[in-house]
Amino acid sequence: MLECLVSLESMSLSSMDVSVLERLKWLQQQQQQVLSTTNASPELLQFHGTNNDELLQNTFSHFQMLGSGFGPNYSMGFGPSHEAMDGCISRTNSCQMDQADTVGVMLNNSEENITIILKNKRKSEVKTREEEKTEKKIKVEAETESNMKVKSNLSNTEASSETSKQKSKAASETQKLDYIHVRARRGQATDRHSLAERARREKISKKMKYLQDLVPGCNKVTGRAGMLDEIINYVQSLQRQVEFLSMKLAVLNPELELAMEDLSVKQFQAYFTNLPVVVASKPSLMVDAPLFPLDQQGSLDLSVINPNQATTIEAPSASWETQSQSLYNTSSLGFQY
Amino acid sequence: MERQTINKNKRVFSAEPTKLSPSEVFTRKYTSHLVPALKKLNMDKNSPQINQLTVKHEVDMALALSAQEFAWSRFLLEKLSSSNNPTTTISSSSNGTRIPERSCKEDEDGEIEEKLRELQKLLPGGEEMNVEEMLIEIGNYIKCLELQTSALKSIVQDTT
Repeated sequence: MLECLVSLESMSLSSMDVSVLERLKWLQQQQQQVLSTTNASPELLQFHGTNNDELLQNTFSHFQMLGSGFGPNYSMGFGPSHEAMDGCISRTNSCQMDQADTVGVMLNNSEENITIILKNKRKSEVKTREEEKTEKKIKVEAETESNMKVKSNLSNTEASSETSKQKSKAASETQKLDYIHVRARRGQATDRHSLAERARREKISKKMKYLQDLVPGCNKVTGRAGMLDEIINYVQSLQRQVEFLSMKLAVLNPELELAMEDLSVKQFQAYFTNLPVVVASKPSLMVDAPLFPLDQQGSLDLSVINPNQATTIEAPSASWETQSQSLYNTSSLGFQY
Repeated sequence: MERQTINKNKRVFSAEPTKLSPSEVFTRKYTSHLVPALKKLNMDKNSPQINQLTVKHEVDMALALSAQEFAWSRFLLEKLSSSNNPTTTISSSSNGTRIPERSCKEDEDGEIEEKLRELQKLLPGGEEMNVEEMLIEIGNYIKCLELQTSALKSIVQDTT
């Protein structure tokens, strides 16, 4: 759903002028559908990532093709749960969703439903919350229709506060699905700004965690700053590698033309399909890119090779050479691509 | 050529349709963009030596074209197409300076902000996104860079 997220966000976010009430209705409808199935962590007004996932799949089917393809697969490379990203995503996505779905949204007794949902959820709560306070606040907020940003509204509705930032981070980490983790916490300021700020910060920390899984070696570093450092260094090193390789390519380019015939292309295509191609000489570097150790330069990563293919490695490289030589001789530049 | 035919006969195919993972899709797209572009470069410029910058341009272009689902790729495309001179989207040397860490916690947020800004500079188009978007895009970008790196490596290895 990474793709969904990104494409939707990039397509200019919808105006968040959907009324809070409608939004709550829509969301709780989804919740009720999935209520029994989810093993959700206790959240007031919990917006499940899976809910939004379903919705996204329903309404953006074409994205679904790509998104669902990317989701599980990226998780192997990217690391964190599919749902965590959905949680992060869903804030901006769901607004667009809403515009698509507002037609079907009925304005019922939202408050009662919300409280019902809340009560159901609370069975699984780990931490004690100031529930009544939040209930009241939810009702209050639900009544007021406003053009405020939904995010800050919802964060307000879940407000009480806690003192330590760490606690909030820990809480947000335990709750995987939601994108609004601003919970009732003791002692913290309940004014809108700090709540919004808190919500924003938690979102960011979630994304940082996701990045942490992606960047190798980030686990050892603690703290946001260190992680950001690592990420920056990693991106820079990747970019430098690309530059270096393209430089190399520029140097080798005259030979490239003759060597990169259709056979090499076929080799690429062979790697990409997971067919057990006996011919295929090179290990599936591309497929296993996440595992590819970047500090290895210019050497075949033999550890990645399938055992079936290991034996055939020697032969094809020789065959390439002979073939490329023959190509040199014939000087045929037929690009059968 | 004999060996090729022999190898062809030995090829084994599965009965199921191939399901491509996104990394495979990307890599395939990438090479399918890059390889013909490089060939074209070779063909067009017979006498002048192939400029490193133009190769870089092609490399970046291939990256941008292969990852069109992401916002940063669009920015990259714009950058590449707007200026005929291949732009170095990578400022490897200039971004080498790291912002020194400060010990006091009060500055921690400010320091983090600075680092986020630096990260934004790395990502094509990052400065025009807000922080949350940018963080997600960075994830995609990193992944695509990794795939690009491995693709380039195998291309280079093919020729050596």
